[in-house]
Amino acid sequence: MMVEMIQENWLLFVIALLIGIAVAYWIFVVTRRTSVTTTKIDALDEGAAPAARNQALIDTPPASATIPVVPPGLAGAGTAVAAVVEEQRAEALKTASDDADETGADDLSRIKGVGPKLEAMLIALGVTRFSQIAAWSDDGIDRIDAQLGRFEGRIRRDNWVAQAQFLQDGDMAGYEEKFGKL
Amino acid sequence: MPIWFELMILLLITYGVGIGLGWGLWGRGTGQDEGFE
Repeated sequence: MMVEMIQENWLLFVIALLIGIAVAYWIFVVTRRTSVTTTKIDALDEGAAPAARNQALIDTPPASATIPVVPPGLAGAGTAVAAVVEEQRAEALKTASDDADETGADDLSRIKGVGPKLEAMLIALGVTRFSQIAAWSDDGIDRIDAQLGRFEGRIRRDNWVAQAQFLQDGDMAGYEEKFGKL
Repeated sequence: MPIWFELMILLLITYGVGIGLGWGLWGRGTGQDEGFE
């Protein structure tokens, strides 16, 4: 009896089957094509607020190297004060560069663009001195670059090699002329 | 049971079979990883 009914209404069954397949196609193919886009900026992306803030912190000269501020009222004291200030500044810069030498490692975060995280990565890779960075060839850069993950490309972008050369030589004047105040 | 009711149930089953076929064709093996980064 049921078979007869199916035979009599086979067209209806074919249509029901096709509708079922069409619905399945829509569910499994069409809806899956929907692409998910997001405008969320990663915290470490260029221009993201945390990244900009970190970069600002990196670019800030170390406290020991800041120039003592001369109160406006004393500005008239002129060259004598200026000379003292310059002397203190030179001393501060010298101390800053000597800081690291005791442990046999340089303070890699003095390179602009190297923050605490990158510094830790570099130390983990066995890079602890400016002289090592200054000596990097193109191959060396590629080798280290490939291991920096999210920071890939920073070495060339921030010109670490040239920075390290100045820092290694202690040529602060040359460094500041090229890369700005340390 | 009226004949139209029986027919409707059979059509529904056929519809379900169609969806099952579609799942077998396109739905299997595509997990959550599809369409996401």
